[in-house]
Amino acid sequence: MTITDLTSMGKPQTEQKQEINKRLQKLKDEVSEYCYQCAKCTSGCEAHKLLELEPHKIIALLKRGLIDEMVNSDIIWTCMSCFKCRERCPQKIAPVEVLFALKNMAVVSGKQVPGKYSTILQSVLGIGLIQDIQTVQTKDMKTLKREELKLPEISKPTDPAKFQAGIMKIAMEKI
Amino acid sequence: MAKKIALYPGCMMSTEQYAYELSVRNTLPELGVQLIDIKGFSCCGEPLKSVNQLLTIFLSARNLALIEKEKLNVLAPCAMCNLALCETQHILKENPEMEKRINDYLSEEGLKYTGNIKIYHILDYLYDEIGIEEIKKHVKKPLENLSFATHYGCHCIRPKEIGRPDDSENPQKMEEILNAIGAKTPPYPEKLDCCGGLLQLNLDESALTKSGQKLKAVSEQGYDGLVDVCPWCHKMFDARQKKSAETVATKVELPVFYLTQLIGMTFGINNDKLGLNLNLSAVEKIKI
Repeated sequence: MTITDLTSMGKPQTEQKQEINKRLQKLKDEVSEYCYQCAKCTSGCEAHKLLELEPHKIIALLKRGLIDEMVNSDIIWTCMSCFKCRERCPQKIAPVEVLFALKNMAVVSGKQVPGKYSTILQSVLGIGLIQDIQTVQTKDMKTLKREELKLPEISKPTDPAKFQAGIMKIAMEKI
Repeated sequence: MAKKIALYPGCMMSTEQYAYELSVRNTLPELGVQLIDIKGFSCCGEPLKSVNQLLTIFLSARNLALIEKEKLNVLAPCAMCNLALCETQHILKENPEMEKRINDYLSEEGLKYTGNIKIYHILDYLYDEIGIEEIKKHVKKPLENLSFATHYGCHCIRPKEIGRPDDSENPQKMEEILNAIGAKTPPYPEKLDCCGGLLQLNLDESALTKSGQKLKAVSEQGYDGLVDVCPWCHKMFDARQKKSAETVATKVELPVFYLTQLIGMTFGINNDKLGLNLNLSAVEKIKI
């Protein structure tokens, strides 16, 4: 299985798209009634000062149904997932969850998966872990392997084919 | 009798942040804990939540199902993994339809998720299950006249709603543990600031700016070191310290430790067993 199965525009993804759309619609219905744009989320946002993410505006745009515009914008990928907006909203709205749904939508719509996300996705699909065992360097430039540190054998999926079959079902399922 | 608990190491700790794994594996047995290894784990899915949240839920439920089979509770010392497992449990409890669906995926590997175990992070496990008094009993060499800044990591304390190891706005468990082993922990304004770790995946320069700003603030305030409990945060503050500092145009030489390393030091466990030779920050500055 390749990354395209999980991300491309193929037929099964239409079903996934519909599901994420439902998720966004549900969030939209939930927020439109409650958010009064106090911007407390933005005042604490870790990505605000540095990358100009404004969670209260994300919610305002969602309210107006401008979902495609956000899906196509790079701004959704600046969230650091610190969950402060979700924690501090006086109305119990979670901009961070809206952002996750928007990013999922961007991926399933066949937009490029940014940065190293595709690498770690490939790795998880292949070996079950975000990366293979790394060799590390000590401060005095000695190179050490995991087994040289007297750590037990790493735990990873014992039967990759069966492990992938489960993920395949996610990628192909008709919802 | 030893307390038995499964160890879920996650990817970061078991593929590169070996100092955390070493210090967890060698410190907890001193406190009467027996860590049980389970075969077949995969990624918790948290780093992929932006790509496909369903995949995150599936991967976490899969790991939980593997642990359930052994009838054990689990210790997930990585804050990211810990959140993924807890959130999955939370979501599936509230959504039986999703639970059914996930169990259908899991049937490919002959697994079944029921959601019937307790998930701990190192912080709540030490504080709530072992207890401060018990930790104190094992201290042979206290961290006298040293003051540390604590960094909890966002995933460790938020969102409160799903149950996290410590309070979201005023976490104090790490302070209390450090005080118990002799160190001072004066508060600082940047305590809840994010390490930027997740941005390493797509906006690395910004990730380094975040960690750089925090490192700068902590060293300017005269702390002897920084303490963390998450391999993602630790990577930013320790292995990537030099680069982080350069990104915010400064120089920082701040010792950065995993909490379990400091506890182990005060218990008299030798440096190699705590992986101290693997910290790339100036940990040699701290001698006890």
